[in-house]
Amino acid sequence: MKNQLKILRAMRDWSQAELGEQLDVSRQAVNAIETGKYDPSLPLAFKIARLFGRPIEEIFDDEFNGGSHDGQ
Amino acid sequence: MNLTEAAMTDNDGMGQSHGRRIMWIILASLGIVMLAGAIMGFLSERRAQGDGPLGTGGILVMLVFVALIASLAFSIWVNGRKIKSSGEPLTKKERLNRNILIGSISIGAAFGIFFVATGTLSTSSSTAVVFEGATLQPALALFLAFVWGVAMPAFSWFWHKRVIDEQEASASRDGGYYAAYAFLVGTPTWWVLWRGGLAPEPNGVAIFMLFSLIWSAVWLWKKYC
Repeated sequence: MKNQLKILRAMRDWSQAELGEQLDVSRQAVNAIETGKYDPSLPLAFKIARLFGRPIEEIFDDEFNGGSHDGQ
Repeated sequence: MNLTEAAMTDNDGMGQSHGRRIMWIILASLGIVMLAGAIMGFLSERRAQGDGPLGTGGILVMLVFVALIASLAFSIWVNGRKIKSSGEPLTKKERLNRNILIGSISIGAAFGIFFVATGTLSTSSSTAVVFEGATLQPALALFLAFVWGVAMPAFSWFWHKRVIDEQEASASRDGGYYAAYAFLVGTPTWWVLWRGGLAPEPNGVAIFMLFSLIWSAVWLWKKYC
């Protein structure tokens, strides 16, 4: 899943270790999320959204472009 | 270059490159443990055969073992220095995880070397002890059963609940899936091939080791690559 985590982290001038410390995860986890190799759980995604003060859908993009999100 | 790109730190992607270095350190550490076991096995065989003088072939074998161990130790030192010099600090969980890993490998290696060196496990060679189910002293069997059956699960529970994060838990689960499928596919295949006279008799220890190896390899791959 694509996401804006690397950009948001850079805007705050945080290293992966600093972000990992705040999220209580390892640098490998931050790196795996940033590179799209690992999709975070819903609780971790909410934690990331709260940390950056943005809605989840602004940070994570499920690349669903074929229709509306309400199933219509 | 826009503002956000310009704001990215020099350490971007550091986690990935550190990951590979850490994985290499882990693999090199395991390699040292296995080579140490091979040396002890070699010496045990010699002891079982009467401890004659170490011939040219024996000296060469030992030199190769020592050179390999020295190479792996050097690579651990080099990778460790690169990680340290990058200035990227470990998170608290990473530090705890690293210390647990180093402690586990050190204790396991120390016990293994002690048991084989002192002949505590058995009078047979180390290879026979592992793969052929050679007899153990009852007190030692109880001790090892306690370590594996009680201490290890308790420690694993702590590791899963308190040490690792969800990405590593996911990597560990993936390793378990791969290992379980390898077991489900491989064991009956080996068994029927043995019944058909086309393969040696299935060995429980070998199956256990392959299961563990696949689990660990996938876990490391998913965590660091």
